[in-house]
Amino acid sequence: MAVKAKRPLYKRKESFAGFLFAVPALVLFAMFAVYPIVRTVYISFFDYNMLKPPVWKGIGNYTSLFTDPLFGQSVRATIVYTLGTFVPTIILALTLALLLNSQLKGIGFFRTLYFTPVVMSMVVVAIIWKLLFSFRGPINQLLSPVMSQPIAWLSNTRYAPIALSIMGIWKNVGYFTVIYLAGLQGIPREFREAARVDGASPWQLLRYITLPLLRPITVFVTTMAMISGMQEFTAQYVMTGGGPNGATRVISLIVWETAFVFMKMGRAAAMCVLLFLALLIITVLQKKWLLNSDY
Amino acid sequence: MAARGQAARRIKISELATYAALAIGALAVAMPFLYAISTSLKDPFEVFEIPMKWIPAVAHWENYVKPFKTMGLARNFLNSVIVAVSVTTLNVFTCSMAGYSFAKFRYWGRDFFFLAVLATLMVPLQVILVPLFELVKRFGWINTYRGLIIPAGTSAFGVFLMRQYFLTVPSELMEAARIDGCSETGIFFRIMLPLVKPALSTLVIFIFMNNWNSFLWPLLAVTREEMMTLPLGIASFESTYSTNYPQLMAVSMASTLPVLIVFFTMQRQFIEGMALSGMKS
Repeated sequence: MAVKAKRPLYKRKESFAGFLFAVPALVLFAMFAVYPIVRTVYISFFDYNMLKPPVWKGIGNYTSLFTDPLFGQSVRATIVYTLGTFVPTIILALTLALLLNSQLKGIGFFRTLYFTPVVMSMVVVAIIWKLLFSFRGPINQLLSPVMSQPIAWLSNTRYAPIALSIMGIWKNVGYFTVIYLAGLQGIPREFREAARVDGASPWQLLRYITLPLLRPITVFVTTMAMISGMQEFTAQYVMTGGGPNGATRVISLIVWETAFVFMKMGRAAAMCVLLFLALLIITVLQKKWLLNSDY
Repeated sequence: MAARGQAARRIKISELATYAALAIGALAVAMPFLYAISTSLKDPFEVFEIPMKWIPAVAHWENYVKPFKTMGLARNFLNSVIVAVSVTTLNVFTCSMAGYSFAKFRYWGRDFFFLAVLATLMVPLQVILVPLFELVKRFGWINTYRGLIIPAGTSAFGVFLMRQYFLTVPSELMEAARIDGCSETGIFFRIMLPLVKPALSTLVIFIFMNNWNSFLWPLLAVTREEMMTLPLGIASFESTYSTNYPQLMAVSMASTLPVLIVFFTMQRQFIEGMALSGMKS
């Protein structure tokens, strides 16, 4: 501060001009991010339907959520989707990245192809998969030799979450593959070569050299996956509408329903606050996990 | 000699196995695309034929034309272009200016502002849906381009990206220009901005793609069909005419085409940008 005060006047004039450059972004952030965050917390303590003024409810919205079986079901559906999609996605992505990292011809082609679903809109992806999973659709036809009868994928509480996860894996695997690939390319070749000279088998190489060195990437990828899985909305909205019987009514979907179908804004805001806390906890855990590692 | 031959053969086999595994993956990724394209050219009666045919008897190219002519999808397409282009342009300015400000100037509260912007990265749209809708409604922006564009007018990731890039540009360039009597806006637009073009192209791709595909916000901000963006239009087409699968697939493929073209021509920036956007948050 003392140093700043000594700066000549013309410098200070520049700093003000510099600040002005940030103003458009700051105004937009204040209006469409900061204010809504504060307001979300605020209305989560009220009964509010946007037509009448909010009525104070204390922590009533929160306590009623904890005993609401529908909300509980929604939390479970979110966890099922997140884990069911991203555990296989990460394992597959790591495998594909390891395969792509070998110096072979035509790797670029595979990389591009695997990445293509990532750039597509979730609406389009969900619509295509809805057809793929339809009763007389190609997936049931493919399975017909092993299944005695076709599966009603999207209207069966057991299979609908599986169908959504399969689609989620298809959509996301390319993204995580590319990130793992970048991580692998950052590992100096000497490490692996030294281990190979010492007689390490490919499996030992993977287990003791590659995977430990990839750990920061894995931590990052896991966090990203969990955060994006917990926010998914479009997939469920388009493919199942949250059904059957709420089996795929994930958090974002129940928030949307509560707020914009049932007009219970306070209750929806309370859900949002809980979702945000969950995301925050995951991010903090990630930081801890990274700091605890030896790298 | 024999040992070397064996080693060479082993390498060949492992190479083959790698290709085989990659090819299976490729097939699994490509199938849904191929199926969608195949279906988009069929007659509705052919869709659920058992056994299914990959190549329809007659290619019904009109599936790609009809929905755009008879439904509001052409308008939806136009809306998507208008919104995505405006949002991207707006972001180019707001993000690069804020990034420049945070990287190259010292003023009171700068670090606080920057951290606050970064903190909003952690708050997804889902969490602030209710007040955001309330606000936009109070402004009378429901069913307007403004309602779709302005709330998306800046991005925390974009500001961060541009700031990091501006940090690598030497400040001496600014000093020299100032001595030459160049105005602050002149320094920014004529000297600094051209130097960060690579970061700008990443930003443009990232923002454009996200906006072209965005669904949740338009779902709230728009209720009238003529104001819908393409993803909304397709979703509503799907719920109204869900039985016309060929047309549905044609519309889906057609709407994906712009992003795919950008992706295939600018792959490197695309993939790097996407990977970066995640890494840095």
